[in-house]
Amino acid sequence: MAATRETAAAVRDVEQYKYGFVTDIESDKAPKGLNEDIIRFISEKKNEPEWMLEWRLKAYRYWLTLSDEEPEWAKLHFPKIDYQASYYYAAPKREKLASLDEVDPKLLDTYKKLGIPLLEQQMLAGVAVDAVFDSVSVATTYKKKLEEMGVIFMPISEALHKHPELVKKHLGSVVPYSDNFYATLNCAVFTDGSFVYIPKGLRCPMELSTYFRINEKNTGQFERTLIIADEGSYVSYLEGCTAPQRDENQLHAAVVELIALDNAEIKYSTVQNWYPGDADGKGGIFNFVTKRGACRGKNSKIMWTQVETGSAITWKYPSCILQGDNSVGEFYSVAITNNRQQADTGTKMIHLGKGTRSKIISKGISAGRAENTYRGLVRIGAKADQARNYTQCDSLLIGDKCGAHTVPYIESRNPSAQTEHEATTSKISDDQLFYCLQRGMTQEEAVSLIVNGFCKEVLQTLPMEFAVEAQKLVGISLEGSVG
Amino acid sequence: MKPSLITTHPFGEAYAKSLGVAPWRGHLPGPKVEEWRFTPLRNLAKIAFAPAAINVSVDIIPRTVPVIQGAARLVLVNGAYRKDLSDANLGKGIELSHGKVPAKEGSSLIALNAAYAPASLALHVTGAVKKIIHIISIGAAEVAPAALHPRITITAETSSSVTLVESHVGLPGETYFSNPVASITVGEGASVRRYVSVDEDNEAFHLATSLVKVAGDGNYEAFHLGLGGALTRQEVRVALTGENANVRLNGAYALNGTSHHDITTVIDHLLPNCTSSQVFKGVVDGESHGVYQGRIHVARDAQKTDARQLHKALFLSRGPAIDCKPELEIYADDVQCAHGAATGEIDPNHLFYLAARGIDPETARDLLVEGFLADAVNEISDEAVRAVFGAAIGQWLKLRQARPS
Repeated sequence: MAATRETAAAVRDVEQYKYGFVTDIESDKAPKGLNEDIIRFISEKKNEPEWMLEWRLKAYRYWLTLSDEEPEWAKLHFPKIDYQASYYYAAPKREKLASLDEVDPKLLDTYKKLGIPLLEQQMLAGVAVDAVFDSVSVATTYKKKLEEMGVIFMPISEALHKHPELVKKHLGSVVPYSDNFYATLNCAVFTDGSFVYIPKGLRCPMELSTYFRINEKNTGQFERTLIIADEGSYVSYLEGCTAPQRDENQLHAAVVELIALDNAEIKYSTVQNWYPGDADGKGGIFNFVTKRGACRGKNSKIMWTQVETGSAITWKYPSCILQGDNSVGEFYSVAITNNRQQADTGTKMIHLGKGTRSKIISKGISAGRAENTYRGLVRIGAKADQARNYTQCDSLLIGDKCGAHTVPYIESRNPSAQTEHEATTSKISDDQLFYCLQRGMTQEEAVSLIVNGFCKEVLQTLPMEFAVEAQKLVGISLEGSVG
Repeated sequence: MKPSLITTHPFGEAYAKSLGVAPWRGHLPGPKVEEWRFTPLRNLAKIAFAPAAINVSVDIIPRTVPVIQGAARLVLVNGAYRKDLSDANLGKGIELSHGKVPAKEGSSLIALNAAYAPASLALHVTGAVKKIIHIISIGAAEVAPAALHPRITITAETSSSVTLVESHVGLPGETYFSNPVASITVGEGASVRRYVSVDEDNEAFHLATSLVKVAGDGNYEAFHLGLGGALTRQEVRVALTGENANVRLNGAYALNGTSHHDITTVIDHLLPNCTSSQVFKGVVDGESHGVYQGRIHVARDAQKTDARQLHKALFLSRGPAIDCKPELEIYADDVQCAHGAATGEIDPNHLFYLAARGIDPETARDLLVEGFLADAVNEISDEAVRAVFGAAIGQWLKLRQARPS
């Protein structure tokens, strides 16, 4: 009995969200609520050009007309969001830092707790980190080295000043301001994000990465990321998230746009472990994200990999528009939901060009009282001759109180295109568990091992730095779900 | 107007007045209703349908209705039972009656049917019925567009069994809209086989709803064939309400011209140890549009469920469209559920193989199409019906060849 008690206590400890702390940094905040003045305030704070403000206002006015069109089709249940009760701008007090030494030590300490010491990371991992802390990017590293090669990697607010022509040309060209309720909101109030441009023929020598973190209490985080891979270039971009513990729900409505020109390749990897709320479903992040990539050029390729373990609610469909002939879209996803988490996630593959190919591998794991839905669209246009799609969705249920759902849409308009979809749902078999337990593993180790095996196909596609973290996360996310 | 509703349609006050009944106050599902996203009813709602006349003179049964040897025949013309055309010698273990239509509300189409259906053709099955019961629904609009609302109720008592064939056809003339509703109750240990063929007139609309309940140890086997109509939909909802119930739901469609055919299935696993399997196959030609939506719902209590679902569609030319949405909604963990879906065209290697053996391309294509659809047709367990449905597909292929391409 004593042993059982000890285990229970240990599990409780681990279950406490590891990254749940609030950094005490003074924030420069706009008043609560959303109106044209707030948007003007944000735009002015960032010293934005006139056209940017106009674009924001256009989006905002359009958003007002959408007020009863908040998406309801997803299998998600949450109370109606009061968009007037949130802050739309918060920035750490000190801006424009010359070097890392000037970074607030408290902030650096926060990263340390997260296991991403900025300084060491530069040296050891060769990763240039553009860290978004709340809404303003405070430190951009390795910038010089990348600059020499012609790579532009900077906060989007900075790019607006330094490369306005690039931003103006591409911003909103993949996800237009009128795209959907949350994306439109993002257009109006986005505060910052990353901007990446890889010049022609360059294979970006390092993984570009950003850690997002929602810090200021009650601040919705509205990232906007834009990545352009010019002809024949390659870039791998990593995005990882953790957020402090909090009781009120927080809204996060990011937009990510990728553009791949002829023969270019973009690999976009995400590990998302934001605060999922407590065991009773109190608190947690609302993650409503629009991510879309356009394979504009021939033979271009966009690859999305995501490991989604956090957030109370996930609404996210990283998509590929395959315009260029012979372009390739891939989507690899692991979505884990435990306790009261809800996830409705998947992808859209829009085949427009000839010989376009797409592959979807989705692994959904549902435990506790969670709901996990895969929702995906494969659309083959009339001109997409010889297009090819393969989709595989597997769901794993742990416990008898959770739900796992699969909702694929296949719309084909071309006879020479081939689409295939397969889906299965199952649970961890008693035989597998018994086999592991018999060899001296604990129940939780066994579950972690089996689930990692179940997700292997997806985790393998992650860059090294992420793969290790992701494997650990898979185990941590499911702790306390068995037995 | 809310995009989720079509409020302007011909089935309101004026329609009810000419029938002398209370009007239907509902609305048709609009384009924003998820279950109707692939099958828009805009065009249907624009046509000025009037109630179809019940006393139309029909002397013979259309030739497109297959003849099933030794079967009893029950004929509905414009939704009303026609004794003169029927051969109601049903044999033992089954009784025919003409009941009132239950005013139970369901989907808007069921409610529309309930409001205007003349009477329900009710079959009460108490024993093992030997004869096949062939129900023929004929739509006949003479000079103006007409709507008909056939209603069929089948109740199979404990341990009884019956085999039904349903043919939905129409007479040439003005366009018509058939809105049939079938309610089927399969009692404990009972077995119902139901084979439905929809071969409506090229201009016709057909939106059918089947509501099936299967009790413990009951078996329900169905096949839905779709061969034509301007806009047709066969929606089948099966609830497995007892343990060890078993449902096999299969179908095939072959479309050309601008036909639109939609198969929508919902299987509700409510209790443990039930099985369901679905095999649907379709071929599309011309500018036609094939739709398959299938949902398997497994409730919290439905442990040990085994549910399978397959949809495959084949393009015969450039121009048609296929939309497919196989859906799993699962709340129990100890289950085996799988679905598969695929679209594509005839493999040129297969054509080459046959051509190399001296078979001309047209015949080769027909062979391959027949073989493709046979996977579904072979699921029909009644030999006679299997032959008849196979022949109907063969006939469709012949007509296709005869058309100038």
